[in-house]
Amino acid sequence: MFGWVGKILRVDLTEKKITTEPTEPYVDDYIGGRGLGVRLIYDNFVPGTEPFDPGNPLIFNVGPLTGTAMPGSGRVDVTALSPMSRLRAKSNFGAYWGPELKYAGFDHLVITGKSEKPCYLFINDGSVEIRDADHLWGKDTFETQKAIQAELRDSEVKVVCIGPAGERLVTFACLITETGDAAGRTGMGAVMGSKNLKAIAVRGFGSVKVAKPNELLELALSTVAEMKEHPAYQELSNWGVARSMQMMYDFSFFPVGYFEDVHWEEIIQNYQGAAYVEKYQIRNMGCFCCPNRCMNFLAVPGIGKGLTSCEPWSGFTGGVWNLDMDVFWEATLLTNRLGIDCTETSASIGLLMELYHDGIITAKDIDGVKMERGSKEAILTTIKKIAAREGYGDLLAQGQKAAAKSFGSAAIEKVDQVKGLAPHAYEFRAYKSAALGQAVGHRGDPLPLRVNLLEVDWHHAPEWFQSVAAQQFGSEEAAIPSSYQGKALATIISEHMERVPDNMGVCKWLYGLFLFQDVERVTAFFNLVTGKELEVPQILKISERVRNLERMFDVRQGLRRDDDALPRKFFEQPLKKGKYKGAVLEKEKFEQMKDEYYSLRGWDKNTGVPTREKLEELGLKDIADEVLEAP
Amino acid sequence: MMIKTLVLDAEKCSGCRSCEAYCSLKHEGECAPSKGRIHVVKWEQEGLFVPINCMRCQEPACEMVCPKRATFRNYTTGAMEVDPYRCIGCMSCVFACPFGATFVDKDTGKVLKCDLCDGDPTCVKVCPTGALTFEEVSKETYLKLLANADRIPGLVRKAIAVEE
Repeated sequence: MFGWVGKILRVDLTEKKITTEPTEPYVDDYIGGRGLGVRLIYDNFVPGTEPFDPGNPLIFNVGPLTGTAMPGSGRVDVTALSPMSRLRAKSNFGAYWGPELKYAGFDHLVITGKSEKPCYLFINDGSVEIRDADHLWGKDTFETQKAIQAELRDSEVKVVCIGPAGERLVTFACLITETGDAAGRTGMGAVMGSKNLKAIAVRGFGSVKVAKPNELLELALSTVAEMKEHPAYQELSNWGVARSMQMMYDFSFFPVGYFEDVHWEEIIQNYQGAAYVEKYQIRNMGCFCCPNRCMNFLAVPGIGKGLTSCEPWSGFTGGVWNLDMDVFWEATLLTNRLGIDCTETSASIGLLMELYHDGIITAKDIDGVKMERGSKEAILTTIKKIAAREGYGDLLAQGQKAAAKSFGSAAIEKVDQVKGLAPHAYEFRAYKSAALGQAVGHRGDPLPLRVNLLEVDWHHAPEWFQSVAAQQFGSEEAAIPSSYQGKALATIISEHMERVPDNMGVCKWLYGLFLFQDVERVTAFFNLVTGKELEVPQILKISERVRNLERMFDVRQGLRRDDDALPRKFFEQPLKKGKYKGAVLEKEKFEQMKDEYYSLRGWDKNTGVPTREKLEELGLKDIADEVLEAP
Repeated sequence: MMIKTLVLDAEKCSGCRSCEAYCSLKHEGECAPSKGRIHVVKWEQEGLFVPINCMRCQEPACEMVCPKRATFRNYTTGAMEVDPYRCIGCMSCVFACPFGATFVDKDTGKVLKCDLCDGDPTCVKVCPTGALTFEEVSKETYLKLLANADRIPGLVRKAIAVEE
């Protein structure tokens, strides 16, 4: 095969059994990566299995383009049943691990069972070994990677691992590779920890075969040259997202505090991200084969070195009312080393700060910590306590809802979550496509989609971006943040666009969101690598199949229309300040957007469940038979 | 004649490994960094990356140790190349290289040597940071000389304790 290396690897940690099966039968329907991973989890998950049961399959997915010579070919999709939502988990990480898995001979890795003792996997150029990890248990993610490389006497071994938080089953524990590339969301670190699996080390010397090597080289070279001229490239490759934060706050696009309000004059005036980068950045870095270096490698004396991408730049600043960049950096490194998702962590801290601010909790409820907005001690102590599951950190480790329950009903009312996760940190009152995409999304944090960014772009040149929206999403209104019109179709198209790079195992920031805002480019790469001749509509049809199968997994878990909801705050508390002062979500219009979304999708409006007709059209009759006919 | 050479600047390298992947695509028609003629040594936790490639020595050890005279200099490009018909795969050159910059294909035992893509290196075209450039040797050495000389006034001022 060209593109795919041809094998799915299965490891049963209980039986210590290692088997493989061919990738080929799946690729025409699902391509690979996220899409094929959805089929694998649908087929391998037995309904009734709980997140920490040995039977919960933890699945790593790379695609036909992963590890090829093209920009952004370093991405890995991870799925399992999420301990946060009991729905399908979805997370994605970069750096070098994914390409290495391909060179070692595998497109997918399905891990089931539970090891009796701590262990790690070593996938070495086609062979697989389950190795003892007693001596690694307790180590942080940086130490673990170094220790494994030293033990295997090869510094080129690529490791993805969990930290102490994953070992202790913190529900939002993450996976870390290198110093800052994380499969952050949906608690994959906890699932890995529940299997007593500390790390997966990979080394490979094989290759990804290419159908049309000369044409691929030509397209890749011209794509790199084109990228270098792109304004988004120049910004991201020099500054990451650090410089755009002020703009996001100024546009009221990023919330401040726990979605309390969006306008904090001080952060707009005094955000020090860019200055911090200027002072401490060693270089910008990207993933494998990526010229677009969107991450900052910082070395701060007395705090440490490491890499960060987008989320902490707002999560550990505005999200927790903090302007001290040293605190931001210490928090970022701590979460990466301990292996907890920075997004859920900063939201959890934000929740406590709001509860404390409103007098719902006092220091007595939380081990004597004064949870003042922006307090350095509060931020750093909470992170450590979560990872150690100590005191109130143990409550937070079980999730925001669980923690709130212990503080009483007033606290429960305060929790802003969607499908068990902190929503993406965007403003949903002012930006209507963000609201819709967030509510109906495949997980509690499904953003950003292209249409959400279009609503931001709109401020720069409204007429131009409205014409872009008309062309790409069928409605000028789709680009206008405050409008409820045209958002349903734009969200559907964006969701399908998003799955294309995910299914192929490449970066959606490049292909879909920031650099190439279409599907054409990545489809051209796909055809040259695999030798297939698919047109864009066929590629998008596969995305639609994937989207529907994702939905059916969750429907099988009990998800219905009512779960596609947003916290009450967004309907009840209008923004008090800023560019979108007064903005609030109107319940009726919001529900109308959802109606429109379901009917355009061919889903039942009352239940939010895909219809048999739609599923059969997508070749998913077996799924319809199993789920729709269930008693 | 102006000889051009590949100049490697570790300070600028971001560790993306595009050079490795594109090199193997160009020379082998497939994507396999392990088959590249250039490699990046990585200290990820330090944020440090060092690209390694043939230095095209004046008196190349690889050429001297080759029992079959399979390694030769291409006088058009300056590159040290290997004649695959003469090469017997003994790997003497691989181990003789003082820079570890002569590589070997683990599957076939074939020696992998940078041929500068016949004077138009692919890796230079994809390097996003300018860590890899293709420069005229004489110009590059002249620039080095200038950079070096530039430090001297500073030294002199320091020596006579004049404030900057």
